[in-house]
Order: sequence, then C-alpha cells, then structure tokens
Amino acid sequence: RDKYRYFACLLRERFDKNKDVKDMVKATELLKAGEEEFWANQHPQPYIFPDSPGGTSYERYDCYKVPEWCLDFWHPSEKAMYPDYFAKREQWKKLQRESWDKELKQLEEETPADGPRTEALPPARKEGHLPPLWWHYVTRPRDLPM
Amino acid sequence: MDFTLLLTTTMTLTLTIILTPILLPTLSNSPNSPTTITCVVKTAFLTSLIPMPLFIYSGTESITSYWEWKFIMNVKIPISLKMDQYSTTFFPIALFVTWSILQFATWYMAAEPHITKFFYYLLMFLIAMLTLTIANNLFLLFIGWEGVGIMSFLLIGWWHARAEANTAALQAILYNRIGDIGLILSMAWLASTTNNWEIQQNFTSTPTLPLLGLILAATGKSAQFGLHPWLPAAMEGPTPVSALLHSSTMVVAGIFLLIRTHPMFTNNPTALTLCLCLGALSTLFAATCAITQNDIKKIIAFSTSSQLGLMMVTIGLNLPQLAFLHISTHAFFKAMLFLCSGAIIHSLNGEQDIRKMGALPKMLPTTTSCMTIGNLALMGTPFLAGFYSKDLIIESMNTSYLNTWALLLTLLATSFTATYTLGMTLLVQTGFTRVPTTTPMNENNKTITNPITRLATGSIMAGLLITSFIIPTKTPPMTMPILTKTAAIVVTTLGIILALELSTMTHALTQPKQTTLTNFSSSLGYFNPLYHRSASAILLNNGQKLASHMINLSWYKKMGPEGLADLQLTMTKTSTTLHTGLIKTYLGSFALSILIVLLLH
Repeated sequence: RDKYRYFACLLRERFDKNKDVKDMVKATELLKAGEEEFWANQHPQPYIFPDSPGGTSYERYDCYKVPEWCLDFWHPSEKAMYPDYFAKREQWKKLQRESWDKELKQLEEETPADGPRTEALPPARKEGHLPPLWWHYVTRPRDLPM
Repeated sequence: MDFTLLLTTTMTLTLTIILTPILLPTLSNSPNSPTTITCVVKTAFLTSLIPMPLFIYSGTESITSYWEWKFIMNVKIPISLKMDQYSTTFFPIALFVTWSILQFATWYMAAEPHITKFFYYLLMFLIAMLTLTIANNLFLLFIGWEGVGIMSFLLIGWWHARAEANTAALQAILYNRIGDIGLILSMAWLASTTNNWEIQQNFTSTPTLPLLGLILAATGKSAQFGLHPWLPAAMEGPTPVSALLHSSTMVVAGIFLLIRTHPMFTNNPTALTLCLCLGALSTLFAATCAITQNDIKKIIAFSTSSQLGLMMVTIGLNLPQLAFLHISTHAFFKAMLFLCSGAIIHSLNGEQDIRKMGALPKMLPTTTSCMTIGNLALMGTPFLAGFYSKDLIIESMNTSYLNTWALLLTLLATSFTATYTLGMTLLVQTGFTRVPTTTPMNENNKTITNPITRLATGSIMAGLLITSFIIPTKTPPMTMPILTKTAAIVVTTLGIILALELSTMTHALTQPKQTTLTNFSSSLGYFNPLYHRSASAILLNNGQKLASHMINLSWYKKMGPEGLADLQLTMTKTSTTLHTGLIKTYLGSFALSILIVLLLH
C-alpha cells in the first residue's frame, strides 16, 4: 500500500505541472496521451473483487434463487407455515398492480433518449407514488442460500 | 492360503461398497447424507487396504471376467477386471484421497442446499475412475473414460448460474472429446486387427497410427500442450471438485491409458519421442504461465498441468512404472494443496487472489504448515514424497541418450516450478496482511484439519512406502556423474533464488514493466483467445465461402461467361505482344516456324 502512495504522488506531480494549460487543443492532446499511457500500462490481470462482475464468486448462487411468483404455487399447508406473510400478500400484489403503470411512466420520462446511462434507479418524485421497480427489490431472493 | 481369491474378493468388495449409497436409498426410505457417503468411502478405503499388502507380499495378480457381451460372434467384450500392480496400488491411494476430500467437502460445501447431490456426483465420478483403473479391456476403460468426462462436466458446472462456469464445463467436454477421437481410432484399429480389446494382448510392434491415437487421447484428457486450456478453466468448479478431479484422478486417466498400453510403445521410437517432446513442452508452458498468475487455484491448476507434462516425459522415456509412481505421490500433495487453498479461500470469505493474502500462519497455523509441506513436496525436496518420483525422472532423463532439447525444457520447467511455488507461498503466507480487516478466520473445525493433516502425513510417507515395496521392472540408473545426480536439486535451488529475487524486487520501489515476456506469461501464452476465436472464425469463414461464394462465383461466373472470356483474354494478351510493326519480328517468327518444320521432318 505504501508503494502505491509513492507512485500516486509522482503521478499527481506530473499532472499538476500541466494544470494551468488554457489552450484547449494542447489540453486535449495531453489527455489523449495520458489515456494511451494508461492503456499501455494497465495491469494484465487486474484485481477484481469476488462478488463484482468478472470475479470468482459472481452470480455463483444464482442457480438457487427462485423467482417470487413460485410462492403462489405453494400448497395451503405450506402457506400455513408463514401465516403473516401470506395474509398480507394479496394486498401487496394489488398495490404492485396499481402502481406499475405509474412507475413505468416515470421511468419512460426520466430515461434519456438513447438508453439509460447507469444502473441506478430514480426515486419516487410525486407524493403517494412508489419508487420504480420496487417490487423486484423488495421480493429479491437472499444473496447466500440457506 | 489362496491369495488370488482373497485379492479378487476384496477388490470387488471395495467396488460394491462404493456402489451402496446409490442402491440403498431405493431399498429403504432413509435418505443419504454427506456424512454417510464419507463413511462409506472410508470403509471402502479400509477394505482396499487389504489387497495391497497381498499383492506386495506375494505378487499375485488376477484377472476376473464377468459377463460377456455377445453381440457380434467374433468380437469378445467381456467385463473383465485386472488386479495388477497398478490397480491394487491405485485403489487405496485414490480412496484415501477421496475420503479426505469428502470429509473436507462436508465443511466447505455446508452452505449449499443440494449438498447431497454434490456428494452423489463425486461418488459417481469415483466409480467411473475406479472402473477405468481396474479395466482389463479398452471397452471398460472407455466406459470409465467417458464417465469421468461427463462427471467432470457436471461438477465443473456445479454453480450453473455462473456464465464462466458453463463455458469452462463446455471447454472441458470439447477438449476431452477431441481426445476421445484418438482413443476411438486406436480402439477401432485394435478391433479390426485383433478381435478383442484385452490389454493382455498388447503387441510389441504396432504401426504408428494407433499409437498416435492413444497419444491424442492422453493429450485431451491429461491436458498436454495442444489441448490444455480446459484445465485452468476448470477451476470454476468448487474446490473439492478441483481437488478430486483435476489434481489426483481424472487428469491421470490419460497417463494411465498410456501406462496400460505401454508394451505397444516400446518399440516405436516415433511415438516415444512425440511423448517426450509433448510432455516437455507442456511442462515448460504450464510452468511459465503459472509464474504470473494471481489466483491460487489457477496456480495450482497450472502446476498440475506441469506435473502431467512431466509424467508424459516419463512415458516417453519408456518408464511406465515411474510414471505411475509419480501419479501416486502427486495425488497426495496436489490434493492437499487444493484442500489447503480451499480452507484459505473459505476463511477469507471467497477471496482467491493472492495479492490479498498475507500473514496467514498467525491465523491458520495448521493449514499453512501443511501447505508448506505440500509445496516442498511439489518442488521435490529430498525425502518428501515428490523427491522419490521427480528426482528419479530427472535422473533417468539425464542418463538416457535422448533428446537434449526435451531435457533442457524439463529442467527449466523444474526451476520454474520452484519459482512459482515459492512465490505462492511467500505471497500467501508471509508479509504483513493484506486481507480485508473484517474477515473471521479460525481453524476450530476438526472436519478440515483432519483431512489436511492426514494428507500431509501421506505426502511425507507415501513416497518412501511405495518405493520400498514396489519392485521396479527396469533397473534404475545407478551410476552417473555428481552433476547429473544433483541436477534436479540444483535447478530447484536456482528457481528458489529466482523467486526470492523477484520478491525483493517487488519490495523495491520500481515500476513494473510490461515486457513481452510478462505479457506472454500472463495471458497464458495467448493460446486461449488465439485458438478459440480462430477455430470458430475459420470454420465459419469456410462455411460461408463454401455455401455462398463458391456456388455463386464458380458456377455462375467462372464456368459460364466469365471463365471463357478470361481464357480468351489471356491468350490474346500473350499474342498481342508479338503484333509489333517491325519486320524483324516477322522475320524472326518466320525463321522459327521454318526451323520447327525442318526439325519435325
């Protein structure tokens, strides 16, 4: 970690030397050269955290994640094991059906014309509305299987 | 005392014991659990310990034939089992390693919902592997061969929701399939020339083609240079899978085939040289790739690949027994290395990158000490397990009058082995810790410490035990100059020095350069993208050429109007050069034609 700090300081100094260049053309040239140097000096095997995309543990437990509509197929004796949840479930589903059109409209208004830029979802803007795609978040399966 | 009967009975009893977890739940209603399967394999191991001393003490071998598959009257395909030196020694070793791995897997895979299915898969794999080992004819061996291939596919793709796991499983199957073509080719040749596939009737003078087929089969299954990418990709499977399949058992299936059919190779120097060079190339290539890897499991996978190349070299030296010895000793310490790495990975909550480990001995003392023992055994430290086989191989290679290039490559690869092993040990265990600070680590569970320590004792003792009790059929070289004798150790120490240099370089404040060499090594020699993309691209291009270009272009244009026009054009172009206006040219052609007429008459 200390090695990284040393090199980061060196790089910062190089960067600061060219900070006051007002000439746009020269600045873009410098940026291009910097990007090329970055590409050439990249690590061949960059460190990726296990759970991030491309990591060793990414999507590993997806095969055990069952979608939530399977809960509707449970036998009543199985549903009786979780009475609190299933008592409220119909109301939640009704809520989801009602708010779906509003969520869709909000998403359509807020997405830029050539596709979404990030994976982040916007919050609910109006009073009484629910944030878009909340159902998929609330009923998501757990990350690690039991 | 009828040793043969006892031998045969105990071996078949071992096989039956392994089959029980599959058959029993159909009879009674109690489902199996992982612990029952572990106990079953332990019982099978203890039962298989009986034939081994029987064989060692009295040298009995037996061949048992069960039911014969009569569907063509001339070709006899019995289900016959051969219990000779190789199978009686391999059974206890494989069962010991499997028992330890299953015990480890009860801890490692405890968070899996379908853990019993996992254990069933491992059991099926074990059955297929043992069938392969004990087979007397190539048919039964082929059944086991395919069985291990299929189970490898199912086990590598255990977490089937992960895209890389599926591609890795597909890779394994495809590369094995290409190798299977070779095996089927040799089986077909054998079936056409002789009428059965028994191993007893190995010829001593066979044409080169079936031998090439067998070598292709071994290349595919044992990941030699041409068909190797599936082995590092197979690390997508859970660690017990890597430990069982891709370190001890499945990858030796190819080498085992070559050992079983070795009389056919003895008099064919082409095949032997091919084995030698292929093995040397794979050893060096794998060792080069392993140096710059950062994932523990990939490093160990490449080291397996490297050791397999070494085994292939031994077969090329016409020493099948030594290859088998190396298989047996390698199984112990490789499985132990995988289990240690699995323990480390699980304790670090899924972290597999060695750049994020360090100072582990404080927190996981047993695991790290066993890992060091395994690494030393891999490098061939004197008197641990690897020494007995590895050193003998290098000595024999030095004293034989063969290929110097292969020798150099293998020596270089041995030093690289030392380099990456030591590099792995250093980065994983020493230094101050780079582990994220909130990982809980302990070694309190007996379920992991017991298998690892058991395999550690195995690594230390196995080499000594096996060499003391198995009588070699060929006399090992006894006299050689001191340099040749100590070549392996010298080369290993050179590798260690190189590793220490590299590690001190990383501590100094230099910027790492990206030379072509490091690039070659870290992208696995560019093999993967080159091969995979070019193969499909060539195929698709040819298909496109064939389907659209050839039909349209050739039939509609070249055969018809344009072709004729082209022919005319070429002729006219050559003759117009003669249409100059000078009389000299006309006189010249005149004289030429008169000369020709005079000559003809």
